[in-house]
Amino acid sequence: MVMTSAAVPGFLPRAGLDRLLDLLAADGRRVIGPTVGQGAVVYDEIHHASDLPAGWTADQAPGSYRLRQTGTERQFDYAVGPTSWKHETFPPRVPLTIGRRVNGQVTFEDALPAAPPVAFLGVRGCEIAALLTQDAVLARGIAVDRDYAARRAAALIIAVECVTPADTCFCTSMGTGPEVTTGFDLAMTELDDGFVVRAGSPAGERLLERLELTAADPGRTTAAQDAVAAARERMGDPVPTAGLPARLIAAAESPQWAEIAERCLACANCTLVCPTCFCTGVTQVSDLDGFEATAERTWDSCFTLGFSKVAGGNFRPRVQDRYRQWLTHKFATWWDQFGMSGCVGCGRCITWCPVGIDVRAELMAVAPPPPALKAAVGIIEPARPTTVKSVPPAASAALLTAPIPLPAVEELPPTYARTFVAERRRETVDTVTLRFDTSDPDLLAGRPGQFVMAALPAFSAAPISVSRFHRDGLELTIRAAGAATRALCELRRGDSVGLRGPMGRGWPVDAAEGHDVVIVTGGIGLAPLRPLVDALLADRTRFREIRLLYGARSPADRLYVEELSELAARPDLDVGQIVDRAGPDWFGRVGVVTGLFDQGHLDGPNAVAYVCGPERMMTATVDVLRDRGVSDDRIFVTLERHMECGVGLCGHCQLGKSFVCRDGPVFSLAEMGPAFGREGL
Amino acid sequence: MTGAVRATIASRPRLGIMKFASCDGCQLTILDLEDHLLDLLVRFDLVEFAEASSYRSSGPFDIVLVEGSISTPEQAEEIVRIRRETPLLVTIGACATAGGIQALRNWADHDAYRAAVYAHPEYVESLATSTPISDHVAVDAELRGCPIDPGQLLELLTALTVGRRPQLPDESVCLECKRRGTVCVLVTGNGPCLGPVTHTGCGALCPAYARGCYGCFGPREAANAPSLARWFGRDGRSDADTARLFSGFTAYAPPFRSVIDSLGGPPIASHSGEDA
Ligand SMILES: Cc1cc2nc3c(=O)[nH]c(=O)nc-3n(C[C@H](O)[C@H](O)[C@H](O)COP(=O)(O)OP(=O)(O)OC[C@H]3O[C@@H](n4cnc5c(N)ncnc54)[C@H](O)[C@@H]3O)c2cc1C
Ligand code: SF4
Ligand code: SF4
Ligand code: FES
Repeated sequence: MVMTSAAVPGFLPRAGLDRLLDLLAADGRRVIGPTVGQGAVVYDEIHHASDLPAGWTADQAPGSYRLRQTGTERQFDYAVGPTSWKHETFPPRVPLTIGRRVNGQVTFEDALPAAPPVAFLGVRGCEIAALLTQDAVLARGIAVDRDYAARRAAALIIAVECVTPADTCFCTSMGTGPEVTTGFDLAMTELDDGFVVRAGSPAGERLLERLELTAADPGRTTAAQDAVAAARERMGDPVPTAGLPARLIAAAESPQWAEIAERCLACANCTLVCPTCFCTGVTQVSDLDGFEATAERTWDSCFTLGFSKVAGGNFRPRVQDRYRQWLTHKFATWWDQFGMSGCVGCGRCITWCPVGIDVRAELMAVAPPPPALKAAVGIIEPARPTTVKSVPPAASAALLTAPIPLPAVEELPPTYARTFVAERRRETVDTVTLRFDTSDPDLLAGRPGQFVMAALPAFSAAPISVSRFHRDGLELTIRAAGAATRALCELRRGDSVGLRGPMGRGWPVDAAEGHDVVIVTGGIGLAPLRPLVDALLADRTRFREIRLLYGARSPADRLYVEELSELAARPDLDVGQIVDRAGPDWFGRVGVVTGLFDQGHLDGPNAVAYVCGPERMMTATVDVLRDRGVSDDRIFVTLERHMECGVGLCGHCQLGKSFVCRDGPVFSLAEMGPAFGREGL
Repeated sequence: MTGAVRATIASRPRLGIMKFASCDGCQLTILDLEDHLLDLLVRFDLVEFAEASSYRSSGPFDIVLVEGSISTPEQAEEIVRIRRETPLLVTIGACATAGGIQALRNWADHDAYRAAVYAHPEYVESLATSTPISDHVAVDAELRGCPIDPGQLLELLTALTVGRRPQLPDESVCLECKRRGTVCVLVTGNGPCLGPVTHTGCGALCPAYARGCYGCFGPREAANAPSLARWFGRDGRSDADTARLFSGFTAYAPPFRSVIDSLGGPPIASHSGEDA
């Protein structure tokens, strides 16, 4: 009898499955695997092999899933169902922090639950790719989702290769299956009488040894390989992915989006069944007194209206905007963000769309491949048996070489730094400037244009730009635009608040070295530019002429009024101010901020511009700047988006290929390309 | 009474709970908040509560929760008066927010119905329509549902006391199905479901019991009811049967109303077909 080793696959007779489950239980692992429930094969706790869906499969089509009995004993004869492993690694609701506020003083306490050991049984190739994809997003970026990383590290992956793809599957096109090649601890392939088993990690090797299997004979090994190869052949290559990202981006203004919106319900099912979609929001669960609130990370979706809400507006009001965001993110901008596709080809969004919208068909309708390619692969009726023998793995196969993650990336502080109000100044009727004392080294190390998340328990955290840095603190200028900002504006001296940051990429100060500088801003937009002005003046000789053009609705709506007069009195700075509506004691200019450009000469080709204000003011300003010859790589704007996490983990602030929080909020126009000013993005 | 206690009481908002044409189910939901009722009474000065006590105050109130639809001329005048005197008016339940099940009469011949039901129809003062409160006066917030969800009610009251925006997301029921791990009944063939076009808030109750959502929270933002109706009609369901699916407690809410109209009106007289 030959015992298996790491290099030799073993054979696990069907009756031996319970032994595997017993070993996992002895290791203290909960086992999650497939079982029949609610009319589908779902992932749930597995105690005995008899819990597995023996003799069950399902017929899947766009918008339809029907269980069916096969009459065999096979336990893994189904294609992926409505649940995905993200229910375990990235649960729908996770408590993040508990905040308390008593007598103006706040405390924040970490509330993350522990991640006990678990084993996933029956993970498919596409699902391993999905886990690796979420690893890239949640555990390998500049910030790490600690809950995800802990749950992922606690999970043992027991893959079962797929030999029964559904009509909705297209892993072959996405290069993620049906073979299992990486990212697993144990991999099994089912045969009529049992499983061919191999190890893919040291933990898997130890488990395989403890199973004491006989080596799989060549007949069985070959049968296993053939079964998977047959599955690949059945699927063919239903989605021609060559050049797909570029094709989709080029189709941004296609009339097809509106046609899809006629059918799409914006119900969000596709995003929630998707094993890679990671967008979340933070919900506040507070007691009746408002003294204590738990902030919970909750599954969210780019299909809801609230997702892209900001105070006073919404960036994706139309369903076509939302569908475009989803599809282009999955298949195009994900590449820019993470170097891989956001789709693994599992087909869940096709089956579980209540009105059967099929991404394969929509991709081909929105972004058809060049005619030659179309003829070669015979698309549009996807996933029918074809004779295509071997399909070159799609580019996203690159991700499959990633090892199981051990996130050791530098983390942001998990909770908020308690920071005290040292001074409060009223700026306008609805705006105050708060000066905070802090010794937090991260907060003090911020740069002009960066922002912080300001949190009061029970309120949603608000992104607020730092409006001045001090050696021992910082200032925030806050307009009461809604509930959270109103509560922040009501803070008094000595009260405390939680601050996290600083975040984002600030204004590139060095870009202005040796150039003329023009700063154009409106309303509260002056706040994030104030530290830039501070920085320029602190090192005045490095820059040529500096102009600050400031527009406001009325004289009383201007921020930092005294400071502006002092600045205006300086010989080395030119300050222009203009208001929409003058008051009785206003002797300055009246009109919109672009009107100030007619004063003085702007040496466009030699100038660097920094712009912040309402979206419409920014587009008008950009038009003038371009007109005067300022090049796009020297025009910097800062953008406002709905933000929840501030560190590139929650997806809310996405704009094309960027996360505004992480990659911005400052962008040069050259970086943004056509994304600047595009409707519904 | 110490100064501190008096200050607390003075800061308690005066709360009124009133009803128009309705079954009182939503008010019962308030009474069912057993564990929180005492807390609520500390936080709010419950001046008037139609279901709990026959006491009628003359107001004024800081906050009024209104149950029921407007279905008589008297009610139409009364709601205008209440609105005038109330800084924060919140409608609760399908009747107040959409007209309720009684709004099915908006499609019927009112006089014929009245004559058929009452011996002396001339004594019955009623309008030809049952309409939501928002058809008559501006509304500050809505709690949907038939009946309302106790969790949402508590969230609203909590948010009001803390001064934050209540979290009453205007999104589909499907998000809750997915978060709680309910398998979609529409896709598995366990029945037609209005969840995709229905406002969330119930916690996706019906699908969790393996039956479709019947839309008691009413249409959500961007409710694409025509698309869902086309899908329902796809495998041979008749227009009348599809119309019946939308002809429930919130039938009169505009997105559902227009779909019902496009399918030939609500099949009010009952005939065979599947359970809506
Ligand atoms: C990078 C950045 C810098 C900012 N800097 C400043 C500043 O210096 N001063 C200032 O006064 N304001 C600033 N804002 C805007 C400020 O964050 C919003 O006004 C604030 O979040 C509104 O929250 P609210 O609860 O008071 O309003 P509500 O209208 O009650 O908010 C409702 C919900 O929408 C979300 N939301 C609304 N508007 C925004 C928004 N613009 N961004 C993110 N989420 C939003 C909130 O999360 C909240 O849950 C900035 C925004 C961004 C993105
Ligand atoms: S594509 Fe389908 S599942 Fe996704 S939001 Fe639209 S209707 Fe819902
Ligand atoms: S059961 Fe209904 S509410 Fe739930 S996901 Fe399906 S369609 Fe949506
Ligand atoms: S990704 Fe969460 S705010 Fe940017």
